[in-house]
Amino acid sequence: MFASQRLRKWLRYSAIYLTLTFFALVMLFPFLVMLFTSFKQVSDTFIFPPRLLPRVPVSAEVAGFEQPLPLYRVEFEGDTSEFVLLERSVRVGYFAPPANLETTYLRELDQAPATGETAVVNGVEQPLYRVELDGAFVPMVLLNRTAMARFANPEDLSQTVLAPLRTTPPVERIAFTLDNYRSVTELHAMDRSLTNTALVTIGVVLGQLTTSILGGYAFARLQFPGRDRLFVIYLGTIMVPFVVLITPLYQLMVMIGWVDRLASLIIPWIFTAYGTFLMRQFFLSVPKEIEEAAIIDGASRLQILWCIFIPASTPALASLTTFTFLYAWNSFFWPLVIINTGNENNRVLTLALSVLGGRAADSPNLVLAGAAIAVLPPVLIYVLGQRFFVESATSSGVKG
Amino acid sequence: MQLTTNRARFGLPGTLALHLRLVAGWHILLSVVGATAVAYLWLANGGMVLWLKGISTAVLLMLTIASVLAVPALLRRQHRGRTLSLLVNYLGFVFALIALLHYAGVFIGIDALANTFGRGVLFFSVILAGYLVHGVADRFRDYPQTFRRLQRTGNWVMLAGLVAFLLAVGLIPGLLAFLARLGEPRNALLFGAVLLFGFVLWLMWRHEMASLLGEKSRDSEMLNGYLFLSPNLLGFLLFFAGPLLLSLYVSFTDSDAFGRQNWIGLQNYGEIFNLSVAPLQSPTQLAGEVLDVRVYDELTRFTLFGRSYVLGAQDKLFWIALRNTVMFVLTAVPLSVVPALLLAAVLNSQVPGMKVFRTIYFLPSIAAVVGVALIWRWLYNSTVGWINYFIASIVTLINQLAGAEVLTDPQIGWLSDTKVALFAVVIIAAWQWMGFNTVLYLAGLQNIPKSLYEAATVDGANSLTQFFRITIPLLAPTTFFVVSTTTIQAMQIFDQVYVLTNPPGGPGTSTTTIVLYLYTQGFRNFRQGYASSIAWVLFLLIFGLTIFQFQRQRSAAAE
Repeated sequence: MFASQRLRKWLRYSAIYLTLTFFALVMLFPFLVMLFTSFKQVSDTFIFPPRLLPRVPVSAEVAGFEQPLPLYRVEFEGDTSEFVLLERSVRVGYFAPPANLETTYLRELDQAPATGETAVVNGVEQPLYRVELDGAFVPMVLLNRTAMARFANPEDLSQTVLAPLRTTPPVERIAFTLDNYRSVTELHAMDRSLTNTALVTIGVVLGQLTTSILGGYAFARLQFPGRDRLFVIYLGTIMVPFVVLITPLYQLMVMIGWVDRLASLIIPWIFTAYGTFLMRQFFLSVPKEIEEAAIIDGASRLQILWCIFIPASTPALASLTTFTFLYAWNSFFWPLVIINTGNENNRVLTLALSVLGGRAADSPNLVLAGAAIAVLPPVLIYVLGQRFFVESATSSGVKG
Repeated sequence: MQLTTNRARFGLPGTLALHLRLVAGWHILLSVVGATAVAYLWLANGGMVLWLKGISTAVLLMLTIASVLAVPALLRRQHRGRTLSLLVNYLGFVFALIALLHYAGVFIGIDALANTFGRGVLFFSVILAGYLVHGVADRFRDYPQTFRRLQRTGNWVMLAGLVAFLLAVGLIPGLLAFLARLGEPRNALLFGAVLLFGFVLWLMWRHEMASLLGEKSRDSEMLNGYLFLSPNLLGFLLFFAGPLLLSLYVSFTDSDAFGRQNWIGLQNYGEIFNLSVAPLQSPTQLAGEVLDVRVYDELTRFTLFGRSYVLGAQDKLFWIALRNTVMFVLTAVPLSVVPALLLAAVLNSQVPGMKVFRTIYFLPSIAAVVGVALIWRWLYNSTVGWINYFIASIVTLINQLAGAEVLTDPQIGWLSDTKVALFAVVIIAAWQWMGFNTVLYLAGLQNIPKSLYEAATVDGANSLTQFFRITIPLLAPTTFFVVSTTTIQAMQIFDQVYVLTNPPGGPGTSTTTIVLYLYTQGFRNFRQGYASSIAWVLFLLIFGLTIFQFQRQRSAAAE
């Protein structure tokens, strides 16, 4: 009885952990692919079956050659050995004695000169070649020609093997290259996009905090005619999808000359109903007594807000900050609309990344390095302050 | 209180009375200027768009009237006069300041800041270091001397970092450029206006003036309220409420974003909803024989009571986009909500390490959609992608286990096959939204009292029964929230499709969604009026859906 209970508990735990781990892998795997691919060389990307870790070919110094030669794994005398690549393309042929076409011999064309004689094979007259076989020369017909690579033992160059280059696996070691990051920043100006995004994000977060705190305080604690009606209007607009605003906002930007300007990514986004709503809800929970005491002491409203409300509402401020940060950092549709007519300097990360995805579609190592630049900063901040992210997610709804 | 009224009655403060008369004079001047400006607006033949002309007139008229009303009230020393004067001068101050910043190139100057911002980033870490030192000081509260010294050091480091940062990003050349621009006549005029409005504002805001005009605490609270709300409210009106109304107006015009904007009534909506059904002689009859092909494109055919019909639409693409969006919502929402509920239930079982898993699940929802879509584009690669590799491996495994070819490797062309492309987008969205929904459900689960489960266990209910009889009903509010927000998000799917498919919406029209279609119409073909009407149709759809879900949730809760 006791043992079976323990078994049941153990089974339950393993079922739970199996499920959790499976989903964790599903969630993490794309990020791992992104990270590892961003350290790969382009030749390492289009390989089937796909591999996670980045690898580079290994080469060996060989006496008599200036450059190191790449190593490959070849079959030599029944064993797998690591040989260097001597020649990429050697003209070879499959030869067979006219009497027995089933057994074929692979020889270089240069080493099998034509004898000048012919033999009739399958009713067709074909030239004969002098093919070396166990020290003797045997006349054979040429069945098929192709090209192969010549590999040699790096210690003893006289030991050579012919093998097709395509199917011979190269010797590789795991190595991470930073070249992709260098080329996306230098050639595709992702560094400029990164600072643009940072600037826009800082501007939006600071601006939104300011207006939300001020507005939230007014809605929560000050009595003025029209307050409640205004608040209902604010609340109602949280539901309005952004796409409804996109054409008039664009026309507005055209009118004030902000198309292609970073100002269009910052200024319109620092006034939000959502942030105001969040701060109001939080300020409502601050006890009234402290505030009244401060008023009697002659404190101004701004002092009260700065000295009492802001310190008391750190969790709400952190939630709003993370929420706004993610929103500003990841926004794509509006930058696509407003910064897309040629001012490459003002591209933000998401936009630069989408352009890179089109331009460098055949080098996933570059695209994913760009993706890593866009994706990793929020992830790092998230790992440091994940509590606030989770709170901002839950405060957006369940409590409100 | 008594004292102030006495002073006001006897008119003691001579300078204040003078100031009051000056302000009254200023308002007379403002009224004249305002009225002239309105007259100029309508008499001079400027190239202003009608709605802008209307709004400017309304604002100017409002300010002029407030100004006119302020004069007698001020002279009679009524507090109403102060309120009106503060309103007029505050708005005048804000408008003049914004106009000054605009014309002096401050907003445009953000671009120049972005140019040099990279140089200053390093000094940001100095500011951060100062902040950390400041924070560390809190741990030494018991040693006042160390505490104060650390705090002061932190403050100085922060200040030094800030100054270095400002210098590095080019504060001085920026200021010089601003000052140079200030010399231009228009900017100098605006600068003068800012100073004047600011000065009058200060005159009227002062305690002395408030007392003189008999300010009550109700008045003070109202003024403070609107003052605190004003940055938010003005921005909200300018960048949200205004555009919202304008959007509705634009949807009734043929606007092209570059000046043309003729009222065409319901024509845009008519084009969207222009459908036509015609009976067919046989199911294979050409649509052109029954539909007016100059107007309608064949959308679909269907058979009803043995008769075949063809459905034509004037804007075929809209209906295709609508169908794709609905298909997307119907698959992506369940796929991101149901597993989230199960995961949350498992996570809630209080096993050690739950927080680590929660952290991991939440990760996708933080990442930029553009980045995520590009990662998945690579995973979806039909020849060397991981997903087809996994499928092939599983197929091989099953075949080996069965010892025969029971399955063949499907070799799915995720992004090139019109049948699966939309589903590829669904998978990404579900992957990205699932973790967020899990966290929401987890928060909901933690609100369910434990005692309910204990009671149920005593009554002999097994955990499956508990899940269906306790967990799901009590989670209904969370479910409503999760489903409705996910639905709203799914209805507006755009980023994923735009980045993932090439051309966006392809192959063919298989992944064209409503917002993508709106984008194409509004910003590729520049039919912005038409795009606006699509946006409003989408808005109404979302609104209707949310109301519908809300009603169901409420009626379910009432049962």
